[in-house]
Amino acid sequence: MTGARRLALTVAGLLAVSGAMTLQVGAAASLSVGSQQITPYRSCTITATPSSTTAVADVGVREASAGTNFGTATTNAVSSAAAANQRMYIRFDLTQCSPTIPSSSTIRLATLRIYVSALPAACRTIDIFRSTATWTETGITWTNQPFGTTLNNPASGSRTGSFNVGTPAGCQNLAAGYVVGATVTTDVAAFVGGTSNFGWMLRDDVEASATTRTTTLSAKNLGTLAQAPQLVITYT
Amino acid sequence: MRWLRTVVSAAGIGIVVGAAVAFAASISFSSASLGAGSASTGRCTNAGLSVLQNLSGSNVASVTVGSIPAGCAGATLLVSVTAGATTGSGSATVPAGGGSVTVTLSTTPAVTASELTDLVLIGP
Repeated sequence: MTGARRLALTVAGLLAVSGAMTLQVGAAASLSVGSQQITPYRSCTITATPSSTTAVADVGVREASAGTNFGTATTNAVSSAAAANQRMYIRFDLTQCSPTIPSSSTIRLATLRIYVSALPAACRTIDIFRSTATWTETGITWTNQPFGTTLNNPASGSRTGSFNVGTPAGCQNLAAGYVVGATVTTDVAAFVGGTSNFGWMLRDDVEASATTRTTTLSAKNLGTLAQAPQLVITYT
Repeated sequence: MRWLRTVVSAAGIGIVVGAAVAFAASISFSSASLGAGSASTGRCTNAGLSVLQNLSGSNVASVTVGSIPAGCAGATLLVSVTAGATTGSGSATVPAGGGSVTVTLSTTPAVTASELTDLVLIGP
């Protein structure tokens, strides 16, 4: 059964419910689907659960422990600090979506949802970059990461998106919880269209801060569903 | 758009099924009127609607659909969430001005590695 046909059947089922509900109201003549718009959307939510799942890979890399892999850590961090910067890599397996998102579909919105458990005292901008090379959750380190060890690389201008986080008033994300503003629609559209999916790297917009500024993020290995990383894709 | 035509056709089937379930003898849907509907069906938005699962324990209890444009105000939002073999559904009306709507699900599917959410706005 094709995705479109399954969607059609689902819509039919939903409309059946709607029709029944409206009929109970008794407004016979007012139910005229023929003159109404029908706007269907479909959404796939990929969640890093259980903690052992391979559907999601997330890991932090640390400049101060350049050769060490932290793939089993329960938190990741994005940090700007003198000789102790930290970055985060995360990837979602889009083939987990069932039915498969058709390559001909239009991706309307894709949102990266990651849970911030501790925020910096200053409002910091975190950049999202599409990784252009493969990495593994249990193998990546600061030293061998796809973007290399040069600080503030790649340039902020090549980022997919960004959000800011910190406790000061006016900061976009100023309390613990899932971040808002991490939109990755363009990248997901590319993945669905056939571009290789190596996930994303998150780093502070300005690394090597003289004062350490750290954002702590819950990792899938924490095993807490309410804080698990998610990717939500809405398409038509 | 072939799949949308299929959806609209399915809508007609859905209404007939709905009528049958409700046994509303006072209402009749003719195939002619449904056919006419196929020609006039459009969308109230192409915007990127946000979809947020609200959990109760490890289950999806409701879904909040956001970024709904004002042009969809008054529409009926139907939501269906499928995780594994379990499907939960519900509906709500988009308020004036659009914005966000939370739809409580009749059945609460357990969160798995991925969930499928179908949204349909009917009207306005």
